Amino acid sequence: MSQAPNENPSCPGKRDKHEARRDFLKQSSALMALALTPPLVVKAGEHDETIAGLFEKMPVSLEVNGKAYQLSVEPRVTLLDLLREQLNLTGTKKGCDHGQCGACTVHVNGQRINSCLTLAVMQEGKKITTIEGLAQGDTLHPVQEAFIKHDGFQCGYCTPGQIMSAVACIREGHAGSPEEIREFMSGNICRCGAYDNIVAAITAVKQGGHTV
Amino acid sequence: MKKQAVGQSMDRVDGRLKVTGTARYFADHQPEGMLYAALVCSPVSSGRITAIDAAKALRAPGVADVVSHLNAPPVPGYKADNPNPKQGLKIFYDDRIYSNGQPVAIVVANTLERAVHAASLVKVTYAQEVHKTDMDENMGQAFQHKNMKDYLRGEADAWKKAPVHLEAEYNIPIEVHNPMELAGIIAHWETPDQLTVYAKTQGVKSVQQTLKTLFQLPESQITVHSRFVGGAFGMGLRIWPMEVATILAAKKIRKPVKLVITRKDMFTLVGYRPAARQRIGIGATTDGKLTGITHEAVANTSPYEDFTEAIVNMSRMMYACPNVNTRYQLVPLNLSTPVWMRGPGEATGAFALESAIDELAHQLKMDPLQLRILNHADTDPEKHLPYSSKYLKEAYEMGAAKIGWQQRSQTPGQLQENGWLVGYGMSSGVFSAGRGRATASATLKADGTLVIRSAAADIGPGTATAMVQIAADATGIDAKKIEFLLGESAYPEAPRQGGSSTVSTVGSAVNDVCRSLQQKLGEMASAGIPAFKGVKAENIQHEDGQLVAGNTRLDYAALLQLQQLPELTVTTTSQAGDERKHYAMYSFSVHFTKVHVHPATGVVRIKHIVSVADSGTVVNTKTARSQMIGGVVGGIGMALTEEALIDHRYGRYVNNNYADYHVPVNADTPPTDVLFINKKDPVINPMGAKGMGEIALIGFAAAVSNAVFNATGKRVRDLPITPDKLI
Amino acid sequence: MNQFSYVRPASQQAAIDALTKDKSARFIAGGTNLLDLMKNGVVAPEKLVDINRLPLKSITLNNNTLHIGALTLNSEVAAHTLVTTRHPLLSQALLAGASQQLRNMATTGGNMMQRTRCSYFYDITMPCNKRTPGSGCSAIGGINRMHAIFGASDQCIAVHPSDMCIALAALDATVLVAGPKGNRRIPFGEFHRLPGNTPDKDNNLGKGELITGIDIPASPFTQNIYYLKVRDRASYAFALVSVAAALDISNNTIRSARLAMGGVAHKPWRLHEAEKALIGKTPTIENFRIAATVATQSARTYKHNAFKVPMAQNSLVTALSKAAAV
Repeated sequence: MSQAPNENPSCPGKRDKHEARRDFLKQSSALMALALTPPLVVKAGEHDETIAGLFEKMPVSLEVNGKAYQLSVEPRVTLLDLLREQLNLTGTKKGCDHGQCGACTVHVNGQRINSCLTLAVMQEGKKITTIEGLAQGDTLHPVQEAFIKHDGFQCGYCTPGQIMSAVACIREGHAGSPEEIREFMSGNICRCGAYDNIVAAITAVKQGGHTV
Repeated sequence: MKKQAVGQSMDRVDGRLKVTGTARYFADHQPEGMLYAALVCSPVSSGRITAIDAAKALRAPGVADVVSHLNAPPVPGYKADNPNPKQGLKIFYDDRIYSNGQPVAIVVANTLERAVHAASLVKVTYAQEVHKTDMDENMGQAFQHKNMKDYLRGEADAWKKAPVHLEAEYNIPIEVHNPMELAGIIAHWETPDQLTVYAKTQGVKSVQQTLKTLFQLPESQITVHSRFVGGAFGMGLRIWPMEVATILAAKKIRKPVKLVITRKDMFTLVGYRPAARQRIGIGATTDGKLTGITHEAVANTSPYEDFTEAIVNMSRMMYACPNVNTRYQLVPLNLSTPVWMRGPGEATGAFALESAIDELAHQLKMDPLQLRILNHADTDPEKHLPYSSKYLKEAYEMGAAKIGWQQRSQTPGQLQENGWLVGYGMSSGVFSAGRGRATASATLKADGTLVIRSAAADIGPGTATAMVQIAADATGIDAKKIEFLLGESAYPEAPRQGGSSTVSTVGSAVNDVCRSLQQKLGEMASAGIPAFKGVKAENIQHEDGQLVAGNTRLDYAALLQLQQLPELTVTTTSQAGDERKHYAMYSFSVHFTKVHVHPATGVVRIKHIVSVADSGTVVNTKTARSQMIGGVVGGIGMALTEEALIDHRYGRYVNNNYADYHVPVNADTPPTDVLFINKKDPVINPMGAKGMGEIALIGFAAAVSNAVFNATGKRVRDLPITPDKLI
Repeated sequence: MNQFSYVRPASQQAAIDALTKDKSARFIAGGTNLLDLMKNGVVAPEKLVDINRLPLKSITLNNNTLHIGALTLNSEVAAHTLVTTRHPLLSQALLAGASQQLRNMATTGGNMMQRTRCSYFYDITMPCNKRTPGSGCSAIGGINRMHAIFGASDQCIAVHPSDMCIALAALDATVLVAGPKGNRRIPFGEFHRLPGNTPDKDNNLGKGELITGIDIPASPFTQNIYYLKVRDRASYAFALVSVAAALDISNNTIRSARLAMGGVAHKPWRLHEAEKALIGKTPTIENFRIAATVATQSARTYKHNAFKVPMAQNSLVTALSKAAAV
């Protein structure tokens, strides 16, 4: 389902119509299921699939790494799963899916958040930056450079989240001392234990006076 | 000659991929037409499945199938009549439930959300049976595995007769690897007998071999990709039942299927460090010479497999002690099978032994560092062999100086800083330095670049980076022109990345294949290049990527160009000789910690860590340091925070998530100094490099508990040392 | 997660209406707890009413009362000058909770609506009266190291997980609520509930009621304050025990005191008796000890959480000492 850009997705009128269709869908599939003999119920499931594809999705417009997307998604799709499974931006990682590890950290309108605990539809009109959008072409962001130089990772899996968090940590003004960095980077677990090097990388960028 | 590459602090060769999000881990792949899977797992801990009602799930939008033991394709490698049932869990084979969380069905749908939701719609009924998950209640079931015989040197239980002695029990709970990357697999049957998988593994060849046996396909029809692995710490050393389940689902549905398990399932599906109950008796003369050590351990395993590891082995060989006896037993519980977790059994055992040494030192009123030095083993007391290299005494000295060991008070509870009690602790670690067998191919291209391939793995230590450095030194080719490729089953055979042996094993193969390449280039030059005519291949020198004979020099690349060869490939297999018959080969570590303990709340904060590694040549000082601090952070978790808790009424974990199972966060870690002996082992391999991955963690927990004792006078023998235990 | 519909009402009234007319609808703000619960199957609303675009994001001072809009983010509140200068205890408590990423998502109202972290509540395969009334409390006979020592019932011994709310309880905040029957104000201490026989109810909000903000009255507690959080790791963990301590000291005499604890009860646990015991006393360790003893008199412990009584006492003394700088 696509939507014209001038339609207001938060207009209650539109929403009610959408819900009404969904309620109709529920009723009609229930009726259909009643009318069918058991072996055909599976067939009904296939039919549901087509209808569901049309009606259970919602339009959402957002910007990721400077690129505008007009999408149609199920409301239950998290921002993380949208990025990874639908937009093929697999740099953002799933480590726990419950906001307990920070591997999925991205920036939304410049703020670091856990993309696993927010719905894609909630990001209407937002600007999202993922690890793929941090470098300027071939020129790495100073934090990316510092992570390489100070070996702020081993396996690399938490690294996109660590780097997105680190950039925000410096921008927020929470990189004033190693102790402050350790506290404000504690929302990003690194099971390989590269913390000491992560602190060194962030300190180096902060002290280097780079624009982050 | 150009500067040697080995020993440099080179940046990781894959660093750029990792910091830009372009390194692709298994779940980042998306074969055309891929479907998503979600598991249905058992909430009962023992019993049988009596019915599976998948109707509702099958009706849900987008669901392709629900696969279980009722409809899974047969696995030809499952042996129905095998007399020994302890061969691993045969997933979807029958209706038996052995442990809570065991997968009973896999649901496949066209989106992740639909698969996950549909899995919640599958209704499974069970005939529940009595389960056993409580280690302490089932100690009576302990048995001795046939490969784990009692050990005796000298007299049994000699510690009891010693003028100074003690006996104590040390317990560790179940700990879970919990790498950041969730486990899973993408399975794709490209044809009915051609299987491709994207796996999270420490060994692509090992996965290939297991699949070969299970599905009885030739190796050539099984492809395993695993270039980037988001940490494993041992859980990737074998293939797990849910991976086979996914392969079965993909076979049935005939489409690629991706499974990524949940964090909760990381506790039940991919192994863990078993719980262990250990008893140590230790005795010494009044002047501190050890006279006897007894070390007995009981650890849990699963109902269907016997998992064993080297928990008691360190006590046999760490100290010069004439009388040592050890015993190791298993208790089967209704849990999944454990698997080696970093440091493996040695880390479990080291906590007990190195705590007991500290307790003995306290009784002797002796500095525990002095006690260790006094009982230093100059030759291996178990194997009665000289060490290939051992610089443990130097390591003790270096570490003690760095942490400021002289500030430690022999009497506990004497020091304070800002209202916190201060304590210093230390411990040692040891792990066998191994070298296995590996094959590598080296392809020299006419543009002067070199590509080396081996089916090795990199779960984080920086395998390719180290291999490039080794190859750069072996060939004289600039490291920037060398690429090392790993993680593909199509590459030449390499063992799993485990037991701290990758640099030793694969590095030797890389070194040797480079030598073979040079040999081949020499032969080509000798036979076909006029300037080298009459110079025997073995007399041609190799320097900086050039062939040299007298004043004649020729670039390797130029040789290929002259021969009109686009590239030249040689393949070499490399393995250890009989060195092990003549030498005891071990890596050693020494850990020192300074801790703060808050007297009112029992909170422990580690303020400073010094870890020293005697691991032979350090190939890359940057990545080696990272490996050491990583092991230390794992050790902090073992010491202070990690414990998987089971409610035995249900046989079910209650803290199976990252919020309640506490792996250390950044704020838990202090500045850490890593020191390397960095002296070449003359025996083990051409590089002289011993392993480092395990010793980084082995012993560390004791260094913390010993420091906590020094700070408070309280001895905590049950890990982890949470605040409630010190209040 | 089940499939659900999603609406983004344009007004506060539309939001309240949406919730009132649909029994299984739920407000979603930051989503950090609700989505977690939905992923675990603990709750399964059929409709989510996204209130994030409502104009409830503000921090203002009106006649010395600090007003914080319900949608103001935890990170915004923690860093705001009006908060750090007038109610630094609130700032400290907020920064002791979660991670910066979560604080950038979690809202003031949502934080108050956080549900317990009891493992048995979260795992739908095990009985829990809070999740499924009448099914039984697994924690009472199970692993209860994290559980309540105050105010629990034989139905539920879960604890309230917020840090922010502990400070708000100590600061005598008022919760502003709008609902189908109009607006009302709820004193903070009456917002959350003890489990009693209805452990499924965490608070006294009615159906369709929306938290619009909180008011914090002016207080003398700007200097002698401390939020102490004792936990199993140094950061990013829920409290074993936490203490919000605020003292008004002049001439070496405690004029007034506020004490609240987290990690010990089903709601932020205000210690009125202990506060009384401090008034008129000199700020000494000895007097703090007396207050701590008073504070823990009604404690009742279970198999694994007996340590919380001495830990609570010691934490109270520590927090008070830090607050008083003695």
